[in-house]
Order: sequence, then C-alpha cells, then structure tokens
Amino acid sequence: MKISDLLQMSVSSLLKRKLRSILTILGVVIGIASIVTMVSLGLGMQKLQLEQIEQYGGLTSITVMPDQSDVVTSNSHLIDDDTISTFSNLDHVEIVSPVLTSSAILLSGKYKDEIWQLNGYTLEGLKALNYKFSEGGLPHKGESLKFIYGNQLLNDFVDAHTGQGFYETGNRPDIDLMNDTIFTVFDTESYNNSNNSDSEKPDSGFESQDDEDDNDSSAKTPAKKYIIPAAGVLYGEGEDAWYDYSYGVYCDIEALKTTLRQVFRNRTIPGQPTRKNGKPYKKWYYSSAYIKVSDIKYVSAVQKEIKDMGYDATSNSEWIQQTQESSRSLAAMLGGIGAVSMLVAAIGIANTMMMSIYERTKEIGVMKVLGCELKDIQALFLFEAASIGLVGGVIGNALSFLVAFAINKISGQQTCYITAWLVLAGLGFAVIVGVLAGYFPSKRAMNLSPLAAIRND
Amino acid sequence: MQEINSEKPVIHVENLYRIYKSGQEKVYALNGVSFDIMKGEFVAIVGTSGSGKSTLLNMMAGLEKPSKGKIVIAGKHIEKLNEKELVRFRREHVGFIFQSYNLMSTLNAIENVALPLSFRGIDKKVREKRSIEALKHVGLEKYMTHRPNEMSGGQQQRVGIARALVVHPEIIFADEPTGNLDSHTAGEMLSLMQDIVKKDRQTLVMVTHDDHLASYADKQIRISDGKIV
Repeated sequence: MKISDLLQMSVSSLLKRKLRSILTILGVVIGIASIVTMVSLGLGMQKLQLEQIEQYGGLTSITVMPDQSDVVTSNSHLIDDDTISTFSNLDHVEIVSPVLTSSAILLSGKYKDEIWQLNGYTLEGLKALNYKFSEGGLPHKGESLKFIYGNQLLNDFVDAHTGQGFYETGNRPDIDLMNDTIFTVFDTESYNNSNNSDSEKPDSGFESQDDEDDNDSSAKTPAKKYIIPAAGVLYGEGEDAWYDYSYGVYCDIEALKTTLRQVFRNRTIPGQPTRKNGKPYKKWYYSSAYIKVSDIKYVSAVQKEIKDMGYDATSNSEWIQQTQESSRSLAAMLGGIGAVSMLVAAIGIANTMMMSIYERTKEIGVMKVLGCELKDIQALFLFEAASIGLVGGVIGNALSFLVAFAINKISGQQTCYITAWLVLAGLGFAVIVGVLAGYFPSKRAMNLSPLAAIRND
Repeated sequence: MQEINSEKPVIHVENLYRIYKSGQEKVYALNGVSFDIMKGEFVAIVGTSGSGKSTLLNMMAGLEKPSKGKIVIAGKHIEKLNEKELVRFRREHVGFIFQSYNLMSTLNAIENVALPLSFRGIDKKVREKRSIEALKHVGLEKYMTHRPNEMSGGQQQRVGIARALVVHPEIIFADEPTGNLDSHTAGEMLSLMQDIVKKDRQTLVMVTHDDHLASYADKQIRISDGKIV
C-alpha cells in the first residue's frame, strides 16, 4: 500500500471514533505537557545559575597565577609579555590580558582606603570583563591613568582619625567617586611610615599588619599624592549587590605602568621581582593573566594545558560543571515525575488500540482475504497510534508553553525555560510512546485469522 | 496474470484431508477429496451444513491449512505457503465474494471496490477508473457514490462482486453469495455471475447448500461427510 493511502485510512478510522480518540489524545496531552513543563523548570533553574556564575566572574574566563612555589628558584613560571603571547597562541583562547595588581591608598576628605586590588588590564581585557557601569564607562586608548571603581568600594573607606568605617558605623562615607577629588598614593610604604611616625595613636585595622616592614624602609619623606580621574563606577545597587569586582579598582594596564614608573623612578616597584643584586628588571612581571576562552566547553581543556605548563590556573569550570550536573539531575528527576503521567497515557493508547482491534476483527479479516499485506495491516495500526501521539504531543507542547508563560509571569523571572530541542524531544517522545504502545496491538491485528471475515454474525 | 494452458486445470485438488481433533475423537471435515477445475468453469460445491464444503473453499482460498493432500492453483502448491505468501497469493490470483458482503461501512461503492486495488499500491486515479468500470459491469451506474447502508442487499452484493472482479483474478471464490438475499434477487445475482463467467472466461467456484442455485453452475461437486458423492 502507498503511504498516503495508509495515512488516510488510519486517520479516517481515528475520526470514525472521535470521542474515544479525543480522550486518548487528552491523556497524551497531559503527559507531554507535564514532562515538558517539568523539564523546562529544571532548564530554567540551570539558566538562572549560569547567569549567576556569569556575574561572578564569567563562564569562559580563566585566571592564571604564577606558580608561587618556584618564584625564588627560577623565573620560568612567572608571567611576562612572552608568557602572555604563548597563552594567546593556545587553541580556543580569544583574549589574553596581563593583570598587574598593585596597591594604593585613596584619600578623600577625612576618609582613607588602602586598596590591594588595583588591577590593570589591557583595554581589550577590560572590555571582555563585560562590566556594567552605573556611571561613566571604560577608559580610552592612550589616555592617562583613570580609575574604574567597584560598587562596594565605599564600604572600605575608613575615617582616618577614628579608624571607623562602614562596618563599624553602618554608614557609608559620603563620597562621590565620580566627581569628588580623590588623592591616590601609590607609594603606600612611604606613606604609612611617615604617617605612623606622625600619628598620635596607632591605627587599628589595615596598617597593623605592615608593622614588621617598617624597619627596613629608609624613605622618611612623605609620599606624593596624585589626583587620578575616575572613568566610571561599576553597577550594583545596595549592600547585597556583591560581585567579584565589587571591592576592586580597575584601570588600563599601560597607563598604570607609565604612572608607576613615574612614581617609583629607579626604585623597585612593589610586587615586581628583583635581580640578585637588588636591582629591578627592565621588563614587567605580571601578577596574573586573564584569559577568555571562545566557548564554555573548552574551559577545562585550556585550563589543564596551562596548568601543565607549570602555572596555577583557576576558573569557574568546576563550579559550572557541578551546577550543571546538579541541575541536569534535577531536570531529569522532574522529567521523571512527568513521565509517570506519560506512562499512563501510553497505557491509554494501548487500550484504545486494543479495543479498536477487537471491534474491527472482521474488517481486518476482510482486508486479509482481499490481499492486504500483513505489514500494511500492522502499519495501519502503528500509524493510528503514532498520530494519537503526534497530535497529543503538539497540543501538549502548546499547553506547556501556556503553563510556562503563566509560571514565569507569576514568579517574575524565567523559572521555566523551553528550548527548541525540548519541544522537539517532547514531540518525538510522544510519537515514540505512541508507536511503542501501538506495537503489540498492531502485532495482534496482523496475526488475526482471515477466517473471521467468513464468519457470519 | 500468466497465461494458463486450457488443457491444464486451473485448480487441482488431490487427496485432501482436514482432520479436527475433538477430545479423543478425530473428526474428518474433509476425507480424501480430489477434483480438477478448468479455466472458465463455473463450479458449484454443494452440500448440507457441516458437510465440509466451506472448509474446502477456505482451503482453496488459502484461509485454512489442509491436514494432508495437495492443492495446486495456477501452478502453485498453496498448501506449502506461509501466511505472508498466502496473502500475496490471494492478492495475485484470487477474488472473493462473501455471504454478508463485508463492505466497509464508511466507504462508498467506488471506494469499496477500489480497496483491493489500493492494497496493490495502485494510483488513486487508476483505482477510481477501474472501480467505475467494474461497477458498470455489475449494473450499478446509479449507485457509485452510495454507502453500503444506502443500498439494498442485492446492490451491496453487486458491489461485492465488482470488488472481486476489479482485480481481474484468475479465480473467484464465492461463499454462499446469495445466502442473505431473497430468492428473486438470488436468481438475478447468479445470472449476473453466469454472464460474467461466460463473457470473461472467468473461473468461479461457489459454495451453496441450495440445489436450485447450484443448477446455474456448469459443474457441481457434491460433498457429504467430507467426501465427494
């Protein structure tokens, strides 16, 4: 028989028993709708988690640190410009930016803040970090040094006299980072030394840790203060808006290098290694490197490659893997709950097909006597079962879209996330379940005796 | 359809047995039956109820398996075929007319006649053309688009005959084709079948219990207790 004839016959026999067909289809609708909705809940959760990880420093980024254990004995695992270009030649690496981390003291009015995370990135790297700004924006190429401030940086400012800040008083210092004049001291050692000797009482907090170093320093001249303009302030409303950039200060690495060279002249810049004779090197050694990989799936491979080169590389990949695994198993579990109703629907299909075969015993016999192929008879019933599945799958998917829309509307975020493959998988599953449920009935139809046609009742 | 030598019988039945086991006892539905049917013959198998005539027909049509013996139809030993081969055999060589017509209630006359053609994978247009021809042949020009429940018993059986003819089979089997019709219509139906056999040189094997109806046939095979008498 031609496929078109088979289809037509199957559909017409479904239409002949409308109410029964509709009820059977309804079972499939409920089954598919519950599976798709449940799985979409799991997917939505996964998506929300990934978005969260994205905010906590990116899904595709790797941070490379020099291997600290080897610093003294050999220079091979420090990060310099050669290392950066080696990294950028690795497969799947999109962007490599050296990161130069320095410390500085910010002074504004009576407040001061000793920052440890003054991070210089290349402009390309800053762009790749994809920061959101609440004010201002990225610095431009060739500009002199400008700072980008983290959204919680103000919490770290303390009253220079009382030593109390946000964490003690609960009040944020009233500083406009964009517009107020802020003095920056790069030579923190000299500043602290001179300040310590001047101040009547020893400061609590930050500086206590530095006391041991005081003896070595010779410079007693007050450190110079610079006014560094602000390029922007990073986005983040309220106290809970904590991201990995929140307490940092960011800037263009080239501008930072220029400024540091000016500030320290021939002296060793803090954080840079020295030769055996105590002289600084000509070239820069970086605190770390920031690497962006082209896709999330390459992160662990690239990370491993860099680790094998002797560097210390960290990324969110393990975290991502963990969350993805846990949300995948959650989605599977939710889908399993939905699958129970699909099982009931499958039994419904099998039952309907069975009934229909009993009713049509004579018809099937006649078809056999008239020379209908056995496989055509089986195909007729399989097509019937598959169309029940298909129609149920289509309507079930439509229903799950409605339910997902309602859930998302009520929860106010994308709790349910229906992907194209989920829709296709739902449809495919419905058809497959239909065919499986129709298989044994169709086998039975095929094996019915043609003698049934002869009997007169 | 292959050309058949008129000297050779189109149906050759030899020493056919059908034995049912009923508890300890063996029941011989057919007890050593042999005969030949030539091409273009109209043969009536006559017997009372339980004589084994229907069993004989079912075996010749490949609906039941013999316990012993040979059935050669159009040169094929059908006692050796399996279910799948039997379906193909029926499709290629056999037309069947039922006592209770067995038309599909949702299909009209043309569609019912076209049904065996669709099993052969024939195009819808060709199907329709041949079905209309066959319906004209049995005198149902005016009822082409009627459904079975809109037709009389006689008209329905005409559709049944057209359905058997439309595939141009070598042999048509008819199982009590007039069993559900009144005697007047039955006579009409048999004249029609006689005509067709004569005109198309069609071989027709009919089972009946009615001696009068059997008299329409060229040849009668009488069966009693599973034996030809």
